[in-house]
Amino acid sequence: MSVSVDSSTFSGDVVRRTVLDNGLTVLTRELHTSPIVTSMIWYRVGSRNEELGQTGKSHFLEHMLFKGTDRFKKGSVDLLTLKNGGNNNAFTSHDFTAYYFNFASDRWDVALDIESDRMVNCVFAPAEFEAEKKVVIEELQMGLDSPWGLLLQELDAGAYKVHPYRNPVIGWLQDVERATSAEQQNYYRKHYYPGNATLVLTGDFETDRVLDQVFERFSAIPKRPDPPAVTAVEPSQRGEKRLQVQWRSKVPRLAIAYHAPQIAHPDSYALQVLNLVLTEGKTSRLYQRLVEREQSVTFATAEYAESKDPTLFHIRAEARGKHTAEEIEASIYEELQRIVTDGATTQELDRAKHLVQAHFILSRERAVDQAMLLGQVETLYGLSYIETYLNKISSVASEDVSAVCSRYLTAANRTVGYLIPDGSSASDVDEGDYEDA
Amino acid sequence: MKTPEAEIWRSFDVQSQTLSNGLQVLLVENPAIPAIAINATVLTGARYEPEDKAGLAIMASNLLDEGTTTRTSLAIAEAIEATGGHLETDASFERVVAAATVLKQDTDLGLELVADLLINPIFPEDYVSKEKSRTLAEIASAKDRPQVVAGWALNELIYGSHPLHRPAQGYPETIGQITRNDLQQFHEQFFAPNNAILSVVGDFKVDEIRARIEKRFGGWNRRPVSLPAIPKPVRQKERREKFIPMAAQQSNIYLGHLGIERTNPDFYALQVLDTILGGGAGFTARIPQRLRDELGLAYTTFASITMAAGIDPGRFVAYIGTSPENTKLAIEGLLNEIRRIVDEPVSQEELQDARDFLTGSFVFAFESSAQIARFLIQASVYNLGFDYGEKYPGFIKAITAEDISRVAGLYLDTENYTLTISGPMEER
Repeated sequence: MSVSVDSSTFSGDVVRRTVLDNGLTVLTRELHTSPIVTSMIWYRVGSRNEELGQTGKSHFLEHMLFKGTDRFKKGSVDLLTLKNGGNNNAFTSHDFTAYYFNFASDRWDVALDIESDRMVNCVFAPAEFEAEKKVVIEELQMGLDSPWGLLLQELDAGAYKVHPYRNPVIGWLQDVERATSAEQQNYYRKHYYPGNATLVLTGDFETDRVLDQVFERFSAIPKRPDPPAVTAVEPSQRGEKRLQVQWRSKVPRLAIAYHAPQIAHPDSYALQVLNLVLTEGKTSRLYQRLVEREQSVTFATAEYAESKDPTLFHIRAEARGKHTAEEIEASIYEELQRIVTDGATTQELDRAKHLVQAHFILSRERAVDQAMLLGQVETLYGLSYIETYLNKISSVASEDVSAVCSRYLTAANRTVGYLIPDGSSASDVDEGDYEDA
Repeated sequence: MKTPEAEIWRSFDVQSQTLSNGLQVLLVENPAIPAIAINATVLTGARYEPEDKAGLAIMASNLLDEGTTTRTSLAIAEAIEATGGHLETDASFERVVAAATVLKQDTDLGLELVADLLINPIFPEDYVSKEKSRTLAEIASAKDRPQVVAGWALNELIYGSHPLHRPAQGYPETIGQITRNDLQQFHEQFFAPNNAILSVVGDFKVDEIRARIEKRFGGWNRRPVSLPAIPKPVRQKERREKFIPMAAQQSNIYLGHLGIERTNPDFYALQVLDTILGGGAGFTARIPQRLRDELGLAYTTFASITMAAGIDPGRFVAYIGTSPENTKLAIEGLLNEIRRIVDEPVSQEELQDARDFLTGSFVFAFESSAQIARFLIQASVYNLGFDYGEKYPGFIKAITAEDISRVAGLYLDTENYTLTISGPMEER
C-alpha cells in the first residue's frame, strides 16, 4: 500500500486514510466500546451516472451484488451473514452506492472476503436477473403507494431540466422493465473497481493488522480507467414552475423545491443552518407558525440533500383539517421573507450550532453510524470537509442566513408541487368536521 | 474456557436501587462518549384506557412536554433544544415513556426535564384541543397507507373486544370524546413513582449521580396504584377475512392470529422458529427466500410471532406486499411455508444457523446507551434478570428441532387464521 495519512478529525479522533496502489481508498477508525466491527464499501456511482433510457441501473446493480459470484453463490452473502450472526444491507443514492456488514469483532473479516470478491466477480445469470427484476418492480410500486414517494419523484423531475438528479434513484418503471442482464453487466464493469471505491472500517480492531488483511484481499484487483465524468450542468431556472400530481388521498400535501448549491459550497453551511432554523424542533420557525399558531399542518419539514452536484432544498408539509395547500404555501413564504429581512436570532444560531456539535458526538457511539458519516463525506466531498465543518458552521452569522435565503429561496428558483385527489379516495375520515367542534 | 458468545458479549454492571417513594432506579456507567441516556417508563399504556376514550394514553404522552407547573411548552423546547440534546415522549399499549439523550454537561437538565414531564404535566386546554385535531389529521393521513390499513384491520379481527384490537392512537370518534379532565385523571391514576422505572446509562459515576436523581425524583409522591385486570384475548376458532378496497399499486396482505406473551417460556424456541420462517439476516428465512428470491412476488415479506410479544399476547403475522394479480399466489405461498414448518421438522443446518444468528447478533442490541437503557426497562418489566445477556446464548442453544416442531404445532394455525388485504378491487 502506498499513501497513508493520519487525519486528525473532530474532537481529536483519529481516522486513518490509506490508498492502495490500485486506487482503493481505505478509511479506518478504531472504536473499542463494543465488540463490533462495521465494514462498509462505497462506490462513486448512483443515478447521477445513468443515461436517459437506462435509469435505475445503479440501484438494480445493488440488488445484483447479492445474486452471486463464482465463489459465493446466490444466497451465500446472506447465509454467511446469518451463520456469523451479523446483519447487512445496502443503499443507493443519486451519487453513490454503499454496502455494509455489522459483525462481532471476532469474525468480521468475512465481510472483506465478500466485498473484495463481489467488486469484480459478480455473475449476471439472465434468469437471476429477470427474477430480481420482479423484486425491483415491486419495490418501485411500493414507493408509489407512499404519498411523499410519488410527489417528490414528480417534483424533482419537474425541477431539473437537464441534470440526471431529475430521475428517481430506483429508475422509471419503463426503463427497469426493459433492462437487460448484459447492459447491467457492462454498467458494473464500468463503475465497480478499486479506484472508484472507499472501504470504511470502524470498530473494535487494531488498525495495522486490519490494513494487512485489506491488502491481502484487495491488492490483486487490477486498476481500471475512470469512466467519463458526468458533465451535465443544470441551467438556471427562469421562473416559478408549478405542478399537480393526482393521487387517491383527500389529504392535501405540498412540496417546494429550490435549486441550491452542492454541499461544501461556501453557501452550503448557511443553508444547513437555515434548514435547522426553519424546521428542526418545536422552537423552529415553521413549527411555531404552522403547527402551533395556525394549526394548519400535521408536520412541516425541510431537507437540504447532501450531494455532489448542485441540488434541491425541499420544504414540504401535510395539511390538516380544512386548511388548504395554498394557505400553507403562503405562510411558508412569509416566514422565508422574515428571514430575508431580519436574519436568524442569536438564540437560533446557537441552537443550530449546538445541535450539529451534539450530533457529531452522538454519532461516534455506534460503529455503523461512524462508518456512514466517514464514507459519505469521503465519497462526496473528501475527508478534509469534516475537519473544517464545525468551524464553518460555527462562523455562520445572521446575515449569512438571510443572504442565502434571499439568494436561493426565491419565487423564480422554485418548483411547487401539490398532491391532489384523483377522485378514488381511500380515506373515509372527515377530519374537517372536528376543527370547529 | 470462554465460549465465543461470552467473548463477544459486552458485560456491564447494573446498579439497581429503589428510592423511598418506590421509584426503581437502574444505572449503568458507560463512558464511551460524553453523553447520557435517560429513560423513564410509567407502567401504563393504551391497554388501560376505556374503549370510548381510545387514544388517551398516546395523547397523554404527546402532551407531557406541552406544559408543566414549572415550564411552558416553549420553555421546555427551548431548554432541550439549546443543548443539542433530544427529549421525547411516547406511549404503547403497555408503557408511557419520557426519554432524553443529552451531552454529559447537560445531565442535570436532562434529569430535571424528564422528571418535570412525568411529575408535573398540566395538559393545557389549548394544547389538548390542538393535539386532538392533529391526531385526527394523522389518522386521516395514515389511512392513505395500504399497509397501515391492512394492519389495523388485522388487529380488529384478531383481538375482538380486547384493547389490542384498537389502533393505539385511537379512532376519530374516540379522540373527539377525550377531555382535559380525562388526561388529568389518567395521569393521576397511573403516574406514580411506585409504578415507574427510571434507567440512566452513560458517562457518569454511579456514586455521584444518585444524589442528582434523588433531588429531581425524590419529591414525587408515592400513592396507591391499582392496575385494572384485563381479560385475556381468546384465540380464534374459525377463519376471518377482510378486504379493504384501495386504489393502490400493491396488495398488502396480512395473515395472522393471536400470538404469545413475552414471559412465555417458549419465547426462545419461537425466536428460533421466526428466524427460520420469516426473519433472520437478509433473505435467508424460508418466506423471503421462497416468495421474494425464488418467485419474485415482493420486495417486503416476513413473518414473526415473537416481535409483538408483550404483557398481552402479541400476534403472529405473515406479511407480503405484492402486485394485485399475484394476491392468491402470495397467500398460498405464505400458507405453504407456515404449513411446512408445522408439518415437517426443520433441518439440523437451518437450526444451527438460526441459533448462531441469534446468539451472534445479540450484541447489536446493546451498542448505545439508549439501547442499554431500554433493555434495563425490558429486563425489569419481564423479569429477565440483569444477567440476561449471559444467559441468553444458553436459552437459544438449548432449542432442538423437536422444540421447533412442538411450538409450531402449538402456536401456529394454518386453518383458523385472520386474513386482511388492502388493494385494488378489480383484481379480486
